Amino acid sequence: MSLRLEGVTVAYGRGAARTTVLDGLDLEFAPGVLTALTGPSGSGKSTLLAVAGALLRPDAGRVLLDGEDVAPLGDARRARVRRERIGYLFQSGNLLPGLTALDQVLTMAHVARRRPARYRDRAAAALDAVGLAHRRGHRPEQLSGGERQRVALARALVLEPSLLLVDEPTAAVDRAQAGELAALLADCAGRRGCTAVVATHDPAVTEAAGRVVALAA
Amino acid sequence: MFLVLRELRAARARFLLMGAVVALIAALVGIVSGFTNGLGDDTVSALRRLPATHIAFAAGTGTDAFARSALDPAAVRGWQAVPGVEATPVGVAIARGTTGRGVPVDLAAFGVEPGSFAAPAGLTAGGVVVSRKIADAGVRPGDTLAVDRTGVRLPVVGVTGRSAYGHVPAAYMSLATWRRVHPAARPGEVSAVALRARAGADLAAADRRLGTRTETRDAAFAAAPGYTGERLTMNSILVFLYLIAPLVVGAFFAVWTVQRTPELALLRALGAARRTLLGHTLAQAALVVVAASLAGGALAAGAGLALGAAVPFSLPAASLLGTVAAVSAAGLAGAALTLRRVASPDPLTMLGAAR
Repeated sequence: MSLRLEGVTVAYGRGAARTTVLDGLDLEFAPGVLTALTGPSGSGKSTLLAVAGALLRPDAGRVLLDGEDVAPLGDARRARVRRERIGYLFQSGNLLPGLTALDQVLTMAHVARRRPARYRDRAAAALDAVGLAHRRGHRPEQLSGGERQRVALARALVLEPSLLLVDEPTAAVDRAQAGELAALLADCAGRRGCTAVVATHDPAVTEAAGRVVALAA
Repeated sequence: MFLVLRELRAARARFLLMGAVVALIAALVGIVSGFTNGLGDDTVSALRRLPATHIAFAAGTGTDAFARSALDPAAVRGWQAVPGVEATPVGVAIARGTTGRGVPVDLAAFGVEPGSFAAPAGLTAGGVVVSRKIADAGVRPGDTLAVDRTGVRLPVVGVTGRSAYGHVPAAYMSLATWRRVHPAARPGEVSAVALRARAGADLAAADRRLGTRTETRDAAFAAAPGYTGERLTMNSILVFLYLIAPLVVGAFFAVWTVQRTPELALLRALGAARRTLLGHTLAQAALVVVAASLAGGALAAGAGLALGAAVPFSLPAASLLGTVAAVSAAGLAGAALTLRRVASPDPLTMLGAAR
């Protein structure tokens, strides 16, 4: 999937407190490449992910997913774009309590209104691909921070999205696990050919990325 | 149902607790309904079994009309002459008696004309047909009931259904016998006239002419002693239970929804439609509330079986199902109060952009 942002502007607040986070941003992301977004806090990395992921409507500009502008879509259609075309990996706390790793991955099929039972093999393969085949029956509290992130990555990838958006994936994991996760992300983008964008402060991730875009505050 | 069942399993202690509360409410509603029905039957089942459309009392009788009303033979004959109306006199009085084996029994003595539509099958001029409730005390056809203080001895000639009046089992006898049992009645006097009125019969005109007050049979239930007060008390309890049920379920789901706001935001961020989340919550509530209501209904039915005939309790299947359905509906209404919150979590909270 090609992702292109044209003249994207996002501002928060009102009146004197209004702050423009993205100001007429033009960016294009190529398939098969892991692009790392870097920059200081407040530079708009997460906002860019929110706009690209149809979670946030920009105040101005276009967000083109394979040529379709998703910026003006209504709430229900943007939700549909998210569940059918985009995989997300959030910073932390993004697993559902009480569910096994396999069920966490199958949740994505449920969200996409497909029959989870038909995706069991694919979900198991997704867990295998992130090195967690042996942890499929474990619940979040039985997994380490890095393992939880890898389960969430398997969930993001199980429906083979064409766009993968990742927000600070290594914020809650140690250095070794951060390196493993970064390698997995780069491998996913390269091998699956999806467009992958990661907002990060972590050098381990930027080193693994094929392209680095630095945003200024 | 994928997430519905998994969330229920993951939070089973909380849902079991909530289910137990709903089950107890449903059981309480069932038990109170059983007592309401049972007490109602115990008060008016003899009137309910009377195959009449209306009852005519003496004008001016208010509450406890069967005890206060007295109609003379002229009023009875007057009603029997009204076009489109079949009328038969009825006498009602409470008496005490003793069986041949020395067992004391209370009797709601119903004086009726043998062979009339108000009389039970098998009633003879000198005999008495007793309610099944009296038969349960060991009275059989062929036995004799001695009515206290009157010296009247009544041969039992039959047993009819479980009819009672004012919590006293009914005993049907001829009007002549009834007047012997109820010596306060003047010659020819009866308590009321049971009517079978065809559509178009002018009952109001007959009332004016004969000095009577006619009510439909069901409205005449209020003429039974204590009936209105009992119904009011029991129905007040039921109303409060039906108000409590949705509040309890609503409060639980409100807390549950607040607790899982991050999960709902995550599901929204992944692309779950609002409709999916609403359906998910309603399905969860329906499973818990219906299962708990069924369990509560079973508890109430079990309580009814355990009580047996010791107390007036009646919870027929239709009432039981009605109770389960009503508590389920009240619970679901409570859960529905929280639906706005289910759909409101902002998916953007999953990203640093909102932090």
